[in-house]
Amino acid sequence: MIEVLKLLIIPGIFFLFSLALFYQWLDRKFYARLQNRYGPLHTGRQGILQPFADFLKLLAKEDIEPKAVDKYIFRGVPILFLTISITALFLIPMSGIEAFTHFEGDLIFILFIMSLVAILAFLGGWCSTNRFSTIGGLRAAVQTLGFEVPLAIAFIGPAILAQSLSITEIVRWQAENNLWAIALNPLGFGIAIIALLAELEKIPFDIPEAETEIVAGWQTEYSGRKLALLRFSFDLELIMAAALITALFLGGPTGPISVFPGIIWFLIKATIVVLILSNLRALFARFRIDQMVSGSWKYLVPLAILQIIVLQLILG
Amino acid sequence: MSESTYTVPIGPQHPALKEPENFTLTVDGEEIIDVKIRLGYVHRGGEKAFESRTYVQNMYLIERVCGICAMAHQLCYVNNIESMMEIEVPPRAHYIRTIVAELERIHSHLLWLGVAAHEIGFDTLFMYVWRDREISLDLMEEITGNRVLHAANTLGGVRRDLSTDIISKLRKGSKIIRERAEYYKKIGLTEKTILKRAAGVGILPYKDAVELCAVGPTTRASGVKKDVRKFDPYSAYDEIPFDLITYDSCDVAARIYVRVDETIESTKIIDYAISHLPSGPIGVKAPRSVPPGEGVSLLEAPRGEDIHYCKSNGTDKPERYKVRAPTLGNWASMARMLIGGYVADVPITLAAIDPCMSCTDRMTFVDANSDKTWTWSLERLRKHAKKFYGR
Repeated sequence: MIEVLKLLIIPGIFFLFSLALFYQWLDRKFYARLQNRYGPLHTGRQGILQPFADFLKLLAKEDIEPKAVDKYIFRGVPILFLTISITALFLIPMSGIEAFTHFEGDLIFILFIMSLVAILAFLGGWCSTNRFSTIGGLRAAVQTLGFEVPLAIAFIGPAILAQSLSITEIVRWQAENNLWAIALNPLGFGIAIIALLAELEKIPFDIPEAETEIVAGWQTEYSGRKLALLRFSFDLELIMAAALITALFLGGPTGPISVFPGIIWFLIKATIVVLILSNLRALFARFRIDQMVSGSWKYLVPLAILQIIVLQLILG
Repeated sequence: MSESTYTVPIGPQHPALKEPENFTLTVDGEEIIDVKIRLGYVHRGGEKAFESRTYVQNMYLIERVCGICAMAHQLCYVNNIESMMEIEVPPRAHYIRTIVAELERIHSHLLWLGVAAHEIGFDTLFMYVWRDREISLDLMEEITGNRVLHAANTLGGVRRDLSTDIISKLRKGSKIIRERAEYYKKIGLTEKTILKRAAGVGILPYKDAVELCAVGPTTRASGVKKDVRKFDPYSAYDEIPFDLITYDSCDVAARIYVRVDETIESTKIIDYAISHLPSGPIGVKAPRSVPPGEGVSLLEAPRGEDIHYCKSNGTDKPERYKVRAPTLGNWASMARMLIGGYVADVPITLAAIDPCMSCTDRMTFVDANSDKTWTWSLERLRKHAKKFYGR
C-alpha cells in the first residue's frame, strides 16, 4: 500500500508532473529575464500556471495526422517517450538515499534510456515523412553520436569513486564519506552539463529542432495531444537531467543540515542545476551539426578521459 | 542530374524566409552545387499604381515600397522629383532629412543584426538588439510623428522642424546607441559560437562582388568601396565628414561588422548634423505638376543602392515610375554566396544580404528555351486562375 502511495505521490507521478511544469516555468522565466523579457506573466502568480495552461490547451486542440505517416509509430512515439522518461526518473534518488527502484547497473540502464530517447526522436522524424522532420530526426541521431560517449565517460567518474554502477550506491557513498563527487570530478561535472544540454536539445545544441532551419525538426508534424505529450516528456527529461547531476555529482538528496527532509535538499540542488542549464542556453549561438560532433570528439571525449585518468591517479 | 545530387526547395513557405520567395538548391549531401531563384510571389503592382496617382499622393505610396527603408525610398523620390521641378531645398531641410535617414539606417541595421542572431540561434542577442533599436524608433517618432512609415518629407523640404528639446533627446539617444553598438561589435569579434557560424560562411570574393554588381553593406563587406553617400552625395552628405566602412574577409562575419560599424558611423553623422544644423526655413513651396522630361536619382538605402526613374509628361501624374530596390541588385551575388556552402548555412547566408522580397519583386513570363518574355493583363490572369483551379 505504501509502495503504491509512494508511486503516486512522492516521489511519484503527481510530484513529478507538478515539478515538470514548475521547472518548465522556471526555465522559461529565468531565460526570459536573462534576455530582458518578462516571460510568462498572465496565468497564475507571475505566470506560474502558464505551462499547465499550455498543456491543457494542447490537449484540447485538434490532433492532425497526415495521410502519409506511418500511423503506429507516429502514435507510439509520444507515448513511449513519456513512459521512458518517467521510468528513468524512478531510478534516481529524490526523497531519500534510496531510489524508488534500484539495482546494480541502473546507471548503464539510464544511459540506455537516453539512447532510446534519441532513437525515438529519429523514428518520430522518419515516420512523419516530412522533409523537415526527416532532417531533424537524422540530426537527432547524429547528435547522439556526439554527446553519448562523453556523457557516459563523465558518469563513470562518480561510479569509480563508489565502486558501483548503481546510482543509489553512488549517492550512499557520497553521504557516508561526506564528500560530493564534484570535488574530485569538476571536469566530469562540466562535461556532463554540456552533454545533457545536447540530450535536452537546448541552445547551443538545439540542432535537431533548429527553428530557423527546419521548422520544429522531428516534431514538425506533431500536433494536439501528441505534441502535448512530447513537450511534457521534454519537461520530464529536464528533471531527469537535473536529478542525475544532483545524484551523481552533488551528493543527491542529502545535505549538511539533517533537519530538512531529503526532498528539500533534492529540490534546492536540482533547481540550481536547472538554473545553470537555462543560463547556458542564453549565452550561445547554435552550432552546426558537423561542428557539434567534431567538437565533441575533439575536446569533450579527451577531456572526459583525462578526468578519469586524474581520478585514478588521486585514488592511487 | 547525377544520382548523388537532389534538389531541396527553400520557400516560398519556409521558416528562414520572412517573405515568400523560392530558392531551389541542388545539393550533394550537405553541399550546395547550384541555386535557382524564383521571384514574383509578392508582386504588388506598385509601379502601375504610381501612374494613376498625383506626385503628392505618390510621396506616401512610395514609402510603402518597403516598411523598413521607408525614408530611403521617399527621399529618393523627392530628390528625383525636386530635381525635375528644379527647386532648391533649404539647407536646414537637407540636414533634417539626413538625420532621419541615418536614424533609419541605425534602425534597419540593428533590426538586421537581431534577425541574423536569430538565424544562428542566438536569441539573447536578438532580444537585446531589438530592445536598443527601440531608441531609434522612438527618436523617429519624436521627429516625424511616426515610428515606421515616417512621411518626413514633402516636395520642397520636410514637414516638421527640429525643436531644441528633440535635439537634446537625439544627442542622448545617439550616445546610447553608439555605446551599445560598440558592445555588440565586441561580442561579434569575440563570441566563439558566432564566429563558428559566421566566419568563412557565404564567401563573396572581391572580383565577384564587382562583377555581379552587389550593392550596399554586402559589397562593402567584400572590400569594394561603393557608397552613394560618398560618390554622388545627396542631402547634406557632401558637408558631413564620415568614414566609408569596408572589410575584406568577404564572409557573413564581415557583413555583421560592416553593419555594426555603419551604425556607429551613423550616430557620428547625427551628432555632427545636430551640432552644425543651419537655421532658416524647412521647406519651399513646390508646384503641382512636373515639366516634361526624365529623371533618375540614386540613394544609399540601408540595404544598398536604391535607384528611382521617373518619366513625366507635364501633368500632375507621372507617366512611368520605376523603382529598383537594393535587394534586386543582390540576388545574383547571393546565388554565388550559397554555392559551395552547407545547407545548414542557408538561413544565415540568405539573411546576410538583408533581403526585402516585396520591395524587389517582379512579375513577368519567361520562356526559358526561346528567351521570349510577355506580360498578362488582370483579366487574363483571372481567366487563368479560374481555369487552373477548375472553377
